Amino acid sequence: MTKRLTVLILAVFMSGALAADLSQAWDILREILFVPGVSGHEGPVSDFIQQRLPAGFKTQRDGMHNVWFTVGSGKPHILFVAHSDELGWIVDKITPEGRLRVKRGGGMLPEAAEARPVLIHAAHGPVAGIVAPRLGYDVRRQPSDAPEAPFTAENFDIFLGVSTEAEARALGVAEGDPITPKKVLVDFAPGLMASRAIDDRAGCAALLDAALRLKAAAFRGKTVTFAWDVQEETGLFGAAELAKTLKPDFVFAIDTFVSTDSPLESKRFGYLPVGKGAVLRAVDSSNVTPRTEISKVMAIAKKRGIPVQVGNSRGGNDGSVFLAGGAVDIPLSWPGSYAHSLIEKIDRRDLEALTDLILAIISDWK
Amino acid sequence: MNDRIAKRTGLLLAIACLAVGTLWAADLKNLTKELFVIPSTTGNEDLLAGKIRGLLPRGLAIEEDGLGTVAVRLRGPGAPTLLLAALDGYGHMVSGITADGYLTLDRPAAPPHARFDTYLLGQPVIISTASGPVQGVVSQPAMHLLTQERRKALVENFSLENAFVDIGVRSEREAREKGVEILDPVTFWPALTELAGEEWSGPSLGLKAVAAVLISVTESLTKESPSGQTIIAWAAQTKAAARGRGARPALGAVRAKAKWDPGRTVVVGVIAVGKDGTAPVPGKGPVLVLAKDEPTALRQSFERAATGAGIPYQFLAAADSPLAIPFASPQSEVLTVALPVQFLNTPSEVVDLKDIQALRDLLERFLRMGGDR
Repeated sequence: MTKRLTVLILAVFMSGALAADLSQAWDILREILFVPGVSGHEGPVSDFIQQRLPAGFKTQRDGMHNVWFTVGSGKPHILFVAHSDELGWIVDKITPEGRLRVKRGGGMLPEAAEARPVLIHAAHGPVAGIVAPRLGYDVRRQPSDAPEAPFTAENFDIFLGVSTEAEARALGVAEGDPITPKKVLVDFAPGLMASRAIDDRAGCAALLDAALRLKAAAFRGKTVTFAWDVQEETGLFGAAELAKTLKPDFVFAIDTFVSTDSPLESKRFGYLPVGKGAVLRAVDSSNVTPRTEISKVMAIAKKRGIPVQVGNSRGGNDGSVFLAGGAVDIPLSWPGSYAHSLIEKIDRRDLEALTDLILAIISDWK
Repeated sequence: MNDRIAKRTGLLLAIACLAVGTLWAADLKNLTKELFVIPSTTGNEDLLAGKIRGLLPRGLAIEEDGLGTVAVRLRGPGAPTLLLAALDGYGHMVSGITADGYLTLDRPAAPPHARFDTYLLGQPVIISTASGPVQGVVSQPAMHLLTQERRKALVENFSLENAFVDIGVRSEREAREKGVEILDPVTFWPALTELAGEEWSGPSLGLKAVAAVLISVTESLTKESPSGQTIIAWAAQTKAAARGRGARPALGAVRAKAKWDPGRTVVVGVIAVGKDGTAPVPGKGPVLVLAKDEPTALRQSFERAATGAGIPYQFLAAADSPLAIPFASPQSEVLTVALPVQFLNTPSEVVDLKDIQALRDLLERFLRMGGDR
């Protein structure tokens, strides 16, 4: 009887230990995607992250809604940072006809939002709207017509189903409210999906997952900081604020690798296929990672059997802000097709390889 | 005492009417939602046709035309009155599969306007295969990699020539293993958005709302017969034009005329709301489309039906729709009664729930009253 009980207790303990070791990044991503966080309005995302972090970590949060915690002590000091903001718009004005004029909040193709649903994240809850199609969208244009004005965030408006400003305000909508596209999850297959805001909620999920799986032995003798920063899409402002106080030796920005794994793009650079592993984003528009550091990461990945691809592409990363303070920036990613669209694509294997790589670096980095 | 009884009876009747009205409204909303998610494009109407058949009252004999049209006949005296709505919406179809597993697209019928294809760029879509729906996205280059010039060229020149649907596979073989075949319909993601002011939005929502209205009217008339023989039809291939000289009538309507040769036809369709507050206005009821400014018996019957029951309606002087063209002759009458739709033929058609209900009530009352023939 005692023997049986011991086996049972051991089995329960083992299954618990295994569960803690299994990556939850994919499930976290599928949840955190739907938490709104347009640049400058990341509070709900920061709340989500803080609520899920283990109580033992002493998290800090500043007025901008940057969230971070530090564990361990000694050198080197390693910082991992993912950005919690997403692309969207901000309500600029409510017209007398009850429509919303907006300010843009990051680089998204406005035409992709034309005649598409959006959510206005008002103080009392989300309000649905439609980006009104351009005037005369259904009228055949003649060669003699004046050139059509471009469809931009500055000249489109959002229809709420009301016809006066008072009715719009009665819904709770106000100037300054953030707006996101209404997101859908496209499930190509189990473990392969597309949606809006994979950039950089996948980074947030990877980092949160790594934090949940972190063991004290891994960071013995070094200092490790995990940070979820804000306002990356509009100019790396959250990272700049963090850089005033955090002085890491190495910073690993966790963000999309803009992959050209798509039928409409040149494969001259950036062709790291979706599904072939995590990415070391060696060269981008903001940073050039030294080859010596690339070799260190690749050696750790090889030792642990983690698939990692190396490539160069475009776009900036939060780690670059820490370069001036003396850090080395080594951005880590997943290969992301269709970046900054409504259909950003990601493979579960890449995301889980990324979280494994984060944990391996914490453990093995010297 | 008698007064009290009369008052109570009146109150009970009013409550009963209100309850029935609310019940109808809920049913119509549910019906519209049920049909909304079913894709239907020209030549691929079978799923929607099957759904409608399943929702129609049991015991009704279904008539078909070989192209996918579904119709029911409600017995009564006289030559038949035909209520005709479209079964097919605008959409795309798989025209090829590339070696690396992307799908290319074509259309089964001409688009409703020149911008229709551009709404595909960077959007989720559904491919309806024989083995079920497959989710996909229409590729869009990463924003980081677009120069200003390339970006301008992309949005100005996007067409089916550069529309590639990604279904998450790497080869033609894998695409076929998912069940994808040439000619499978490709439609916008069926996301229903509930707006303020009792308005709903989504792709092909007008078409589906009208189809739901006709089901609801059929249900009602099955319980209490109409005043005359009535055929209610959901016609396939209305976006394809019949060949021949002159005007290009809708093929589905031409075949309906040949099959049933009705004395009176009511085309139940959709119509774009007016610009800048001009008629038709959403929320003000169904639209009687007046191709000629002549008070026909059919039009007067509708006006009487609406006025008698306090059902809101509006007029619009406009050319007959391609569905009405085949029925316009000295021997028969035709009238288009349309649901006003904002942002018509975009992925976010907006309809007012009050208009859907009013359209249903108007058609039902018209068929019960019969009117002059």
